Amino acid sequence: MAQSSPGAFAMRATAHDLELVALAAAGGREAFGELVRRHGSAVRGLLRRMGADGASADDVAQDAFLAAFEQIADFRGEGTFAGWVKRIAARLYVKRWRREARRDLAAEALERERPADIRQSGAADRIDLDDALRALSGAERLCVTLCYGGGLSHAEAASALNTPLGTVKSHVKRGLDKLKARLAPVRSVGDAESDHG
Amino acid sequence: MADRTFEMELDRMFGEAPAMADADVFTSRVLGRLDRGWNLRQLLIGGLGLAGGVIGGAQIVGSDVIGRLTALGAHSDRLVSARLDQLHVAGILPDGVLEALPVNGEALVMSAALAVLAVGFAVVRAVRDI
Repeated sequence: MAQSSPGAFAMRATAHDLELVALAAAGGREAFGELVRRHGSAVRGLLRRMGADGASADDVAQDAFLAAFEQIADFRGEGTFAGWVKRIAARLYVKRWRREARRDLAAEALERERPADIRQSGAADRIDLDDALRALSGAERLCVTLCYGGGLSHAEAASALNTPLGTVKSHVKRGLDKLKARLAPVRSVGDAESDHG
Repeated sequence: MADRTFEMELDRMFGEAPAMADADVFTSRVLGRLDRGWNLRQLLIGGLGLAGGVIGGAQIVGSDVIGRLTALGAHSDRLVSARLDQLHVAGILPDGVLEALPVNGEALVMSAALAVLAVGFAVVRAVRDI
C-alpha cells in the first residue's frame, strides 16, 4: 500500500489519472482515493441528473467507485477514467431504478410530462442544464443522460434498460428537442454577448 | 443550431462537474467502505487459512506421515546403496567416489521435494509474467 508522506501527497495531486490508476491497480488505496477526490463530484452529479435523489446518488456513486476498484485492472486507458466510472455508475443506477420500482420505460413514458415551457431570451431567463433536464419526462431524462452524460450508445442504453432500441431513440430525440428549446436562449444570449465582445 | 453542434454543446455541459462542498466526506466514505471490505476479506482468508492449517496438521499427525516418510527414506537408502554396490562390483564406479557425498535415500526424497517446490515457484512466476 502507498505510504502517506508530503512528497507522496504532492505526487498524487499532480499525477495523471493513468498513473494513479496504475498505482491503484497495484493496491494503492491512497492513489485510488485521489481518483475518487477528483471525479466523485462528476459521478454524483451525473446520477442526480439521471433523476436520483441526493442520498441515492451518493450510494450508487460509492458502489460505482468500489466496483471500479475491483475491476481497475480491466481499465485499459481507452477513454477517461471519469468516463469509465460514469458508465459503471449509470448501469448500476439503471439496475437499481428497475429493481426498486419494477419500472419499465414504456410505463414511465406515460407519466404526465411537464410542459416544455420555452422561455424567452434574456439574461434573467438563463437556465442551466439541470433546470432544463427537469422539463423532461423521467424516461426522456434517463435516456438522454445515459447516452450523453453516461457515455452509453443507444444500443447499450436499450440493453441496460431492457427496452427496444427504437423506444430509447425516440425518448432521446424528444428529450433533445426539449433541451434544445430550453437551452437555446442561453446560447443565443451567450453568442450575442460574445459577438458584441 | 445544427444538431451536431448542439450535441457537442450538450456533451460539454454534461462534462462540467458540479462543485460539491462535501467532496472530501464522500471520498472518506468510499475509502472507509474499501477498508471495511478489505479487513473483512483479510479476516475471512486468515480464518479459513487457520482452519485449514489445523485440519491439515491434525490429518498429518493422525496419518503417521512422519513414520511413513522415515520408512520410505530407509527403503530408498537401501535401494541406492544396493545400486551403488552393483556399480562398484561392475567396476563402473571407482571406490571412494560417492562416499563423501550425502547420497542416501532421505537426501534423495528431500531433493525431490525441493525440486517439486522449485518447479512450482517457477510455474507460478511464469504464469504471473505471462
